[in-house]
Amino acid sequence: MRAPVFAFAVALAVSGCAARTTYHWGSYDETLYKHYKRPLDREAWVAGLEETVLAAEQDGERVPPGVYAELGYALLEEGQTKEAISYFEKEKTKWPESRVLMEKMIRNAQQRAGNVAGARIPASTRGPAGAVETKR
Amino acid sequence: MTFICRSAARRLALGVALVVLAAGCATAPKKDYAKLVAAQPRSILVVPVVNNSVDVNAPDYFLSTLPVPVGERGYYVFPVNLVKRLLEDDGLSDAALVHGADPAKLASLFGADAILYVTIEKWEAKWVLVSTYVTVEFQYVLKDGKTGATLWEEHQKMEYSSDSGGGGLLGAIVSAAVTKASPNYMPLARQASWKAMAFPGPGFPAGPYRPEHGIDLKQ
Repeated sequence: MRAPVFAFAVALAVSGCAARTTYHWGSYDETLYKHYKRPLDREAWVAGLEETVLAAEQDGERVPPGVYAELGYALLEEGQTKEAISYFEKEKTKWPESRVLMEKMIRNAQQRAGNVAGARIPASTRGPAGAVETKR
Repeated sequence: MTFICRSAARRLALGVALVVLAAGCATAPKKDYAKLVAAQPRSILVVPVVNNSVDVNAPDYFLSTLPVPVGERGYYVFPVNLVKRLLEDDGLSDAALVHGADPAKLASLFGADAILYVTIEKWEAKWVLVSTYVTVEFQYVLKDGKTGATLWEEHQKMEYSSDSGGGGLLGAIVSAAVTKASPNYMPLARQASWKAMAFPGPGFPAGPYRPEHGIDLKQ
């Protein structure tokens, strides 16, 4: 009799301290960690973020805070401006707290898209995306 | 009669469970959350980590572990990598510069309600004879994005030694990691943040995305 009760108690204690998560984080922190470990592996970085987004969406769960935006930024760095903007829009819609930052990111991306189209900058020379708007 | 005995045993076991639960999660002295409650932050900007250890990779590695525990407290957590890159592009690639900047100005740049500053004090492994000692130590400070006032702070130190006889599940994970040539600090580092932010405990009350938001302090 006592054993199952004790097991339940242990389970309760464990779940009370960690285990349970609100969001479907998937491999998000692992993906970030690997990105810092191997920054040149861009494919794994983008794929890891896409996987986290897809897994949450497919389960009908809310995509965790910041993940759409990280994916948007990763795509912006790849020169995929349109896709980047769509993810910034998603972050802004799902998480109203991100509005100020996402509007900046969208403006920067649009500006960048304009510049790229106008000057026909080859993809290989594209640096990391523009920062928070210059304060000049 | 047997029924009564059983229910008494059950009650005793539950009592033990509650004691275990309380001991595991809520031993730290109560903190003053008045400023945090008054500020009502909905979002937390986690800025790059300041490193006082000799491991140059530690701050980025540790940064990667922070969004999950902060987000799980029920706050909007800004995309840490995007934030880091924007700061770098703005000439703030040194985390110490970011930590030294005016919090209100920084917060307004991102539209953040609060900023979490994390500093690595220790991130090291020592080998003595056949034993391995891994230590991580962090300082966490949450500041108001409007006034710059400190809303919450916590210090966490986690140690693991391979001769401490198991050390439960975490011990097993870490010991598996340290048997390789270079120790994996990540399980210990993650555990430190979960512990630091746990509430009830040394952490901070739940944000608007948790069901216990607004009631956990009254309990």
